[in-house]
Amino acid sequence: MMGNLLEHMGVDRDRIHFSWISSAEATKFVDVVKEISDKVRALGPNKKFVKDYNK
Amino acid sequence: MDTCIEKIRAIGADLLAKGEVEIIIGFSDGSIPMAARPVAVSSRDDMEKLVFNSTCGLNLANYVSKNSLSGKGAKIAVVAKGCDARNLVTHMVENQISRDQIYIIGVPCTGMVDKRKIASMFEDEITKFAEEGDTLIIESALKKLTVKKTDVLRHNCQVCTHPNPPVFDVMAAEPVAEQTLDQPFADVDNIAAMDPEARWAYFQELTQNCIRCYACRNACPLCYCPTCFVDESSPQWVGKGQNQTDVTTFHFLRAFHCAGRCTDCGACVEACPMGINVREFTRKLNKDALELFGWEAGLDLEKRPPLDVYSPDDPNDFIK
Amino acid sequence: MDENSIKIVSFLCNWCSYGAADLAGVSRMEYPADIRVIRIPCSGRMSPKFILSAFREGADAVWVSG
Repeated sequence: MMGNLLEHMGVDRDRIHFSWISSAEATKFVDVVKEISDKVRALGPNKKFVKDYNK
Repeated sequence: MDTCIEKIRAIGADLLAKGEVEIIIGFSDGSIPMAARPVAVSSRDDMEKLVFNSTCGLNLANYVSKNSLSGKGAKIAVVAKGCDARNLVTHMVENQISRDQIYIIGVPCTGMVDKRKIASMFEDEITKFAEEGDTLIIESALKKLTVKKTDVLRHNCQVCTHPNPPVFDVMAAEPVAEQTLDQPFADVDNIAAMDPEARWAYFQELTQNCIRCYACRNACPLCYCPTCFVDESSPQWVGKGQNQTDVTTFHFLRAFHCAGRCTDCGACVEACPMGINVREFTRKLNKDALELFGWEAGLDLEKRPPLDVYSPDDPNDFIK
Repeated sequence: MDENSIKIVSFLCNWCSYGAADLAGVSRMEYPADIRVIRIPCSGRMSPKFILSAFREGADAVWVSG
């Protein structure tokens, strides 16, 4: 539901990920990191919800 | 609705006389028109103070959890519209109060008026507000208007599907007809139809006038934490200024804390001095709660809220 | 900073994903260096505040893993 509200407010869905990996699943861990990394790289840097302390 | 106030007063007087409750929480007229305010009545002489009309837009369940008496176990009677009663049920489900501590005087509700909408019809200050059935007669120094109540209903009352209290000890009038809506969340769907950048801009613009007074939080019966996250300082989750990121963060988290609990009573919007429709956030959560979990808050004393329990049927598509 | 570098703040459960990350390390597996791991005692420790905090401080994405 949190992901949905963020998305509703205009934050890209691919900026928030949830997964379930057992401590024995190192390969799955590596796969998920790669997948998330690719998706976020495609989106580029995040500008929303970022606090600019200089303002 | 004028007829039911006599009934409410009679029930109240009877309860106090029998010593069944120590205090009755209801509405009384405010110091200016259209500003009904909460009142706690503990003697029969004050019973005349109680009123009920179309300007009682606040949620009285709020004054039960934050009432020092409820902590001492005193029995309290509450004049409750559909949404107030649903929030009382939420309090019971969340173990804030016990069922036998509360005496619910149920009032079938025909909706509350949007005070900003009415005020915008006048150039000067409103001096008189009266209602006769479905007609409202509103006067200012310059003019007198007669409007239909249905034309100036608050949005949450227009889309309300539970005007009658789901749980009550006594009803002050006959239940009113409940509507069913084909598209209960048309407003949410309209926003969802925009592209992400437009949605982001929409919510930024929506909250840009926020002065961080926290009236929405204080008016909300769900917000009873002893220390609110906005007041925590180590770590500080959200800055206290009017930085737009802080404002957005505050509104997001305030709304999210109401996920699966909000009854869409509209007290937050009613309380906002800047006229921000803060319901835009909670509406989306209500829609999700209904669509993902088939849940509407405050209808059942036995069922646990969806974010409170695990079920193998819970939607888990978002987990990889 | 390099335009291409991204930061993914990752909240990993001590017993599950953190263990998996550890195992990936000892197994000498390679994965992108974009993640910044925060170990939490259990996924139940997670809070929406953490996610927003991460974004506030400039995270490009957040990953919660049990």
